[in-house]
Amino acid sequence: MPPKEREVTNERERCATGIEGIDHVLNGGIPRGNTVLVAGSVGTGKTSICIEFLVHGALGGENSLYLSVTEPSSKLLKNVIPFDFFDDRLIKQGKLHFVDLPGVYEKLGIEKSEFTFDEIRLLVDTIAALVDQYNVRRFVLDSVTSVSYRLEEPELVRDFLLRLGVVLSSKGCTSLLVSEFTPTGEGYSRLGVEEAIADGVIVTGNLERRGDLLRTLQVVKMRGTSHSRAKYVLDLTTSGVLLVPLLKGGSVQGGG
Amino acid sequence: MTIASEVNEKLSALPEASAVAMRLRTEQYFDAIQGMLDLFATDKELEAIYITSTIPSQSIINALEVLEIPLDHIWFVDCISQIMMSATKRHPHAIVVESPTMLENLMLKVEFLLRKNPERKALVILDSINSLAIHNNTKILSEFLHILVNNLRSHAAYTVIFSMQEYETEEIRNMLVLVSDESVELGHEIEAVAD
Repeated sequence: MPPKEREVTNERERCATGIEGIDHVLNGGIPRGNTVLVAGSVGTGKTSICIEFLVHGALGGENSLYLSVTEPSSKLLKNVIPFDFFDDRLIKQGKLHFVDLPGVYEKLGIEKSEFTFDEIRLLVDTIAALVDQYNVRRFVLDSVTSVSYRLEEPELVRDFLLRLGVVLSSKGCTSLLVSEFTPTGEGYSRLGVEEAIADGVIVTGNLERRGDLLRTLQVVKMRGTSHSRAKYVLDLTTSGVLLVPLLKGGSVQGGG
Repeated sequence: MTIASEVNEKLSALPEASAVAMRLRTEQYFDAIQGMLDLFATDKELEAIYITSTIPSQSIINALEVLEIPLDHIWFVDCISQIMMSATKRHPHAIVVESPTMLENLMLKVEFLLRKNPERKALVILDSINSLAIHNNTKILSEFLHILVNNLRSHAAYTVIFSMQEYETEEIRNMLVLVSDESVELGHEIEAVAD
């Protein structure tokens, strides 16, 4: 059935990512308030997608926050694609914020390898406070995988994500959580919990076809909207993330 | 009338967003390029995006420089230089796609160039269907052309697909009929494909 016919009448408000291809796939954007897992192996464009999502938000007047877990944001900003539409005044004007999570751990005194339930609550409360402080409407955690390494039990990961999702959604914040996984593994996250709790899952990957390596993107789940589930090929350019359909080549596996 | 003038005249007669199969003989090749890039694109103030899978973009650039055709509004998507492992320097107006089998990346580079130059309408030249057919099977090539041409129509861009008559097969002719509005054979009148 064509997507238009499946659309429900009381459409949820959308948070247009500003990435034309993804907004097209999602019939207008991410339903506002959704927490979406952006899952993929290394070098597939997860961080670029997230940063472009935030920059477009900031340009459109929505305050945006990038919470970096593994890489200092100063280093990240040096290596990220120099988008033509990026304006560093967004940072100076307080529209676009970069915060390093290790610094937050230090302030909270929870610099240890494993977190307890109480420490998870403290962390979620601190993120909520940052969202309030900066009046954030778009949020990225890069990566949830790095946080989950401090949460040994799947129950702890579930608790963290449930709390975080509820807090962010209640503040009208649309969120992307980066998840890193190996292409050989099952599921879209380290423990397989994240994709079940998230409202949406966008998977990026590498597709090898006759010796060529293509970057791909597929929306496998998105609550609150009908969407394409087809696989697309993406390119990371200074004009932003671009998508085109993956050619099927007469339905030969993996394309022609 | 020269071949270059004939190309200009025939393309100028077509409406915006047309997709044209240009069936060439080898000896008409550089004259046809001159007609499109120097006369037609200049007259219409078009941004030209030249997809080359036949010869490296640098060879075409060298020929254009000899003909004193300015490169300011001409861009190349080159999907043959990398696979040839050639060490030539890259022109700033040339973007390389790793292989002519990476058809999606070829579409992505065209889309990128359209976005980089939004203020002018575009002429997209695909040189050529025959050389792409060396590296790709007919099914994926037909799918590629169908998506590319329709996407370019949505941008109101002209699309010209080169087909070298000496290397045409029945399959290629059928493919061109499917995706183009017109078939231009130099030295002949325009034939409406729909007829």
